[in-house]
This record gives sequence, structure tokens and C-alpha cells, in this order.
Amino acid sequence: MTKIIPLSMLFTLSLMADATLESIQKELETQKQKTATLESQVKALSSASTNQSASFSQNAYLPDIAFILDMSAVTRDVNNSAYNKYAIPGFMDSTDTEILFNPNRGFNLNYAEVALHSTVNPYFDAFAVFHLQNNVFEIEEAYVITRALPMGLRVKAGKFRSNFGRLNKKHHHSWHFDSQALIYEALFGPDSLKDPGLQLQWIAPTDTYLMLGLEVMQGNNAQSFGYSENANLLVTYLKSSIDIGENISMLGGVSYAKGKNASANQTDIYGIDFTLRNQFDSYSSLIWQSEYLQREKHLDTSTDKQDGFYSELIYEYNNNYSGGVRYDSITKNETDLSAYSGVDTDNLNRYTVMFEYKPFEMSRLRLSYTYDRSKIISDERRSINEVMLSLNIAAGAHSAHDY
Amino acid sequence: MKKIILSLMLGVSVLFANINVDTTYSTFGAIVKRIGTEHVNVTVLGSSKYDPHFIVPKPSLLAKLRRADLLIINGGGLEIGWLPPLLRSANNAKIQNGAKGFLDISHFIPMIDVPVSVSRAFGDVHAQGNPHYSTDPHQVPIIAKAILNKLKQIDTHNASDYDKNYQIFIKEWQTYLTLFDTKMQECSTKKVVQYHELFNYFLNRYNIKSYGNIEPLPGVAPSSRHTIELIRMMQKEGIRTVLQDVYHEKKSAAFIADKTGARVATLPHDLGALKESDTLESFYNTIAKQICH
Ligand SMILES: [Zn+2]
Repeated sequence: MTKIIPLSMLFTLSLMADATLESIQKELETQKQKTATLESQVKALSSASTNQSASFSQNAYLPDIAFILDMSAVTRDVNNSAYNKYAIPGFMDSTDTEILFNPNRGFNLNYAEVALHSTVNPYFDAFAVFHLQNNVFEIEEAYVITRALPMGLRVKAGKFRSNFGRLNKKHHHSWHFDSQALIYEALFGPDSLKDPGLQLQWIAPTDTYLMLGLEVMQGNNAQSFGYSENANLLVTYLKSSIDIGENISMLGGVSYAKGKNASANQTDIYGIDFTLRNQFDSYSSLIWQSEYLQREKHLDTSTDKQDGFYSELIYEYNNNYSGGVRYDSITKNETDLSAYSGVDTDNLNRYTVMFEYKPFEMSRLRLSYTYDRSKIISDERRSINEVMLSLNIAAGAHSAHDY
Repeated sequence: MKKIILSLMLGVSVLFANINVDTTYSTFGAIVKRIGTEHVNVTVLGSSKYDPHFIVPKPSLLAKLRRADLLIINGGGLEIGWLPPLLRSANNAKIQNGAKGFLDISHFIPMIDVPVSVSRAFGDVHAQGNPHYSTDPHQVPIIAKAILNKLKQIDTHNASDYDKNYQIFIKEWQTYLTLFDTKMQECSTKKVVQYHELFNYFLNRYNIKSYGNIEPLPGVAPSSRHTIELIRMMQKEGIRTVLQDVYHEKKSAAFIADKTGARVATLPHDLGALKESDTLESFYNTIAKQICH
């Protein structure tokens, strides 16, 4: 009996609850009906317009297209013919010289670049960057990346710039200076490290950004690798980043590349990079970016041991003006330098200062002065002075800002 | 004993059942919290201290995107300058454009100021219309509804809770809006100029006319010629209020105010941009207070 009373009470309670619930449900039902009628009316109205599009038009599926122009006016205290055969002792001889950017005193049209991006399907994004120079058409990059892999994984396949270090991935127009960092030019040449291959990147599911990458590439890079019989270049890196408060952020990485060089022996390259960025406001920041690279290139009877670094400081005053300085240096050059006997090959270094004016988001004027002590010109160590005014225009699809 | 294990397991599963929601801006984050309450962990990617068009794509944002179950964006091109590369590098299939965990709120908003023709000759215009709709408190119910439906779709388990929270929130918000609209009827400010067209949705709503912008073209820094023209126009039209955001330079507005005797009203463009704008209510109250003075 005692059990029955609370049970029946519970029963009545639930009945009462049911009753209120019922009224609510009824109300909800009428509301739903009202909405449905309204919705159907809206639909009828909006679908009333007929299809005006051109038959077979696929305009809506056009890829994002951007084109980038880069040109410069240069004064330099070296003849063009002599400069075009410069050597960086221990790294590239005068016969190897291939200058991609600003080779001449006077005017240079460095390149017109066409960049395309499109989502192929829910699983892939495709990218292509065509680099056009006076007599050169180059597929700078052409690759697909996955969109739908689980567990923080992403695969890139095609020809692409390796994510080794900090600078290698970046295209010329997103560098802070018009010339390539000296240690990059010395170890990888003007093309940087880019090849057909496969890349796998994994981001750890942690609060702190931690990314691990592995790349298998053909290894065409003549400067450090260049063994052409099979795919032999392996690149791996670990990158991490932390913020201090809202304004200060840091990005660091360690990288390693291993492959076979033209003499069929192994080359190892190690890299450390560090970037510190302090954001003063939306448009003003101070960026300190440095990288140190070391190479051990094994030859048949000897081993080259070389290293160097660059360090740059960039101050963005606002979205119109910025300036920066960079110091480049080769700090170790243990290799066969007998070809340069009688020539001073110590302390290869370079100083660059630049001042930038962006009248508008997608155009950039840059004035720079370079004092270059890294080159041998006509068998002579020369200190080169160079003043350059460069113009870079990016039209079309918005390329998002770099970190 | 079995019960303990069961409840422990339940506890754990409840702990892990929380869904990670990333929003690009803070106003959306606040709305998600009101509907998702204890079931969601909200991360706001873009600080309201900064220009929403130019959020610095810090690598730390990748770690946040990597673990998100749902990404809510403003859309209308507002994130185009910073989000797409981050999204591609975050390696998270769940929140890619087109996936279930991706929500573009602008798809639910009737956009205003849609340009008839688009060219960068007119500056960095918003080609899809003005994306700064969240400065209008009447957009909140639309945003909330879109978020509710998405949360229910992502986390069916807690759908009834989301419904309940939404009903409560909407009821509160309607009350708030009624009061807000009544107060806005007394707003004596009818003419303004602004730095960038951040507040058009709000201004249109309350019949306040925006006569021009301090920036000569969208995304272009003020020029002296344009500033002088603006000052002349303000004097002719009798405009007494200059709307300034927190992230642009303040010199131009101060100069204009000095020449015209107008008042500079600093407005939050997003929740938390100013001190008294930490909640949805205080955010819109501050906008109203600053405009109407
Ligand atoms: Zn805008």
C-alpha cells in the first residue's frame, strides 16, 4: 500500500506533465504548420525566376587565378657580363651561375607568374604556379593536397617546394628581400629545394602547435644532390610554435635533408630556424627571423663541411611602410678551394637594407642597398655595391597573408 | 561496484563528449556559448583587438583548427585574407569548406551593399556585399538559428539541450531587442561618417545615414585630399559624429573632429573590442551609447 501511494502520485504527476506537454506540442505543431506555409510561399516566390545562365556555362567553377609581376631597376658597380658569371667559392663556380632575379644593371623583368588554385572534389585541392621569364616557361609548382585525411594527416603530391626550413617553401614575391638568402643560394641554388615527390605532414592533437613532416623527392637539386638514377632525397622536419600573450608569437623548426649527390655519395643538410614576431597592432609588427644551415657533402675521397646563416629584422610601421636589415654569412667552408688560389675566400658575407612602400595591398615598391662580399667576379674577390628599386604587383585572386 | 564503473564511464564519456567549436570572431563565439553552454568548448581565432580583415595567421591557430569539430566563419569574404591557407594546413577533414563541421553564417544573412560591378580600381571592396552584419543586434537571432541547427546536426546527442538553450536565449534576446529599439528611437544622431563601412547594418536598421568614410577606398589609407573633401561635406551636411573603430589609426578622425567640431565615437566592431563590450548585450549597448551619446 505504501508503495502504491507514491506510485500513483507519480502517475498523476506524469499525467499532468503529459497534459502540459500535449498543449505545448499542439502549439508547436500549429507553429510548424505556419512556418511550413510561409516557407513554401517564399520558395514559390524565389523559384519563380527562370534560369538565365548561358547554357553549358561553367564560369562558377573557374579556379582562383592570380598573376604576379616582378621587375626592377638596378645600379651595380660590376659589369653585367662579369656579374653574370659570378662564383660563390666552394659552392658554385662561374660556369654554374644561373641568376633568376635581377641579373642586369638597368631594367629587369624578373618574371610574370600565374598561380592557380581550385578545389578538385571533396578530397583534393589542386595548385599550379607557372613561372614565366623571357625565354623560359617553368612549372614552378604543380601539386594536389588532400582535404579529407583523418588524424591530422595531409598528403601533397606533385612538384612542390620542400617545407625544409623556414624560407624554402616561400616564393620570391613573399620574401622580405629581393635577393635569396646567401646560404640558400649556396646550398640549393636559385631554384631552392623543389622537386617532384610526395609529402606527408602530421599535426599533433595538442594545445601547442607541433608539426612533423616527411618528404620523398626526386633529388634533382644540382647544388647539393643531383644523383639522377632514382628518387633519393629524403626530407624531414619538426616545427612548433608558441605564443606569449596575444602579441608575441614564435615559430621554430629543425630540418634534415638526406640524398645522393652527383658523385653518388651522400649529402646531409641540417637546418634550424627561428622566428619571433611581435605584433604592435593590426598593421605594425617587428619580425626577427634567422636560419642556420649546415651541409656535409661526401665525395669519393673527401667530405665538404660547410655552413652559414642569415638573420633578418623587419619592422612594419603600418600597412604602407616597412623596412628591414639582413645579414648573411658563410661561417664554415671546408672544401677544395684550390681553384681560387691567391684569391681571398674567407668571410663570405653580405649586408642588405631595404625600405618598402605599399601604396595599396597588392602592389609593393622596394628600395634596397646591398653590400655584397660573397662573390668572386672574374677571378677577383670583389665587394659589390648595389642599389635596387623593385616593383611587385599581385593581381587577381587575393593571396592571403603570410606569417 | 558495477554502478561506480558505469557512472565513471558515463562521466568520462560526458567529459569527452564536449565538442570543440572554433569561431573566427568573438561575437559568434558568445552566441555559441549561449546555445551550447556546457556541451561546447569555444575558441575564438581572431582577437577583437585587431582588424578582422587582417588577423595575423599565427601557427598556433593551426593547433586550434586541428582539433575543431566545428568551424564557424563570418563569410562574405571577411576571412579571405587570413583563413584559407590556415584551413588547408590544419589537416582537419571535419571543418573543410563543404564538410559537415563548416558553417558560413553569411549564407543566412540578406547581404546589403552588394556591388553592381567589382574592380580593385575601387579599392579592396567586399565583392559579396558588406560582411559586417554582426554589428546589428537584429542579426543575432538569425545567427543563433544557424548555429543551433548546426550544433544539433553535429552533436545529435545533446540536440534537446541546444533547443532548450536556444528558446531561452531567443526569448531573452527578443525582450532585449524590444527595449533596445525603444531606446534607439530616442537616438538624436541621424548623420555620421565612419572609417570603414563597419556599421552599415546597424545604421540602416535605425535610419542613421552614413555620408562617407575616412578611408577613400576600402582598405586604402586616408589621403589629405579625401579628408578635406570629407570635412567640407560634413560642414555642408551638418554631420556631428565620426565613427571610429579600435584598430585603425586615430589621427585622421581627431583631425576631422578638430576641423568640424564633430565628436569621435569609438565603437567596438566585435565583442570585447572595447572594455564595456564583453557580453552580447553590453557589446550592442556600447555601440548604441557611443553613436547616440
Ligand atoms: Zn570590411
